Amino acid sequence: MKKQILLALLAAGSVAGLLAVSGCKTSVNSVENAQKEGQRQMVSDSRVITDGSLAKKVSIVGVNQTMTPGGLLKVQVELLNKTRSYQAFNYRFEWFDASGMQMNSLSTAVIGSTIEGKESKFISAVAPTSACKDFRLKLVEN
Amino acid sequence: MKKTIVLSVLAAAIPFIGAGCAGTNAHYVETGDQHNVVSLGQINIQDYIQAANDMTGKLLASGALDKVPNPPAVLAISRIVNNTGKQIDTDLLTKKIRVAVLDSGKALTTTTMGLGGTAEDPMAKGIQQEHEFKNDTKVTRTPDFTLSGKIIELTARVSDTRQSTYSFQLSLTDAKTGLAVWEGEKEITKQGTQSSVGF
Repeated sequence: MKKQILLALLAAGSVAGLLAVSGCKTSVNSVENAQKEGQRQMVSDSRVITDGSLAKKVSIVGVNQTMTPGGLLKVQVELLNKTRSYQAFNYRFEWFDASGMQMNSLSTAVIGSTIEGKESKFISAVAPTSACKDFRLKLVEN
Repeated sequence: MKKTIVLSVLAAAIPFIGAGCAGTNAHYVETGDQHNVVSLGQINIQDYIQAANDMTGKLLASGALDKVPNPPAVLAISRIVNNTGKQIDTDLLTKKIRVAVLDSGKALTTTTMGLGGTAEDPMAKGIQQEHEFKNDTKVTRTPDFTLSGKIIELTARVSDTRQSTYSFQLSLTDAKTGLAVWEGEKEITKQGTQSSVGF
């Protein structure tokens, strides 16, 4: 009798555990046109990884850039969550002028975002002034 | 004996776990970063920063401010309606946008023309009028655009979980034609059972 109760409790615990885990594990299915009309102007990037765990959850696929009609640099970064877990993260774009001096402005604010499991997501930012020539993206796990 | 030592070391280490990330004593944090307090049912400073950042980026990228005969464009701030049910100072949003568009070199904001004829800077208006009177010339440049908007709050609740959505809406209107040449909206949603620190 005691053993049966123990087994029932164990089974209930396992089911609850599975439910709890499955609640956090979702992934994204997607579809897109195979023949692309647009051509992304990819940027050769340099990466510094100090948080290996975050690098799996919010990995950088590629960076592309364009100029806005007003002559401002616009940067777009493709991120991919390689895990099946939903992840919250923060990011911040920093901008630099032709002399490498950081241009502090509103656009260097920290932005909170989320990404679903196996999801590919784009984040973008527009340079605060036309003097901005370079950028840096910082990602922090939440 | 060995086990006791290990346990003692572990017990001593517990208070230090996470000490690097949190503290109860008053301390400085960078405004708008992930260490700021997140409140449910209230717009936090990071929400204003995020909304202003997002909409300024879109406004500058649209090129709407570049379509003036004599750049940079002149911008006047019109009414920002607060529909949140809380008393807020809309300058927390508009000032950030003003600073960003001024820094971009795309627009200047007038401080001598305001809603209902009220100047934001009455002294500047007085001096400007004095100049015009003395020189008998009209030096005032009328605004090319006006910026108006609304902040809306939507709340929802399921059991103990509360959710607040804040919608920041802005319109840039061509002052000559009265047509909106750019419109932006940024929605920020916060969910939880209680306020916390972090995004």
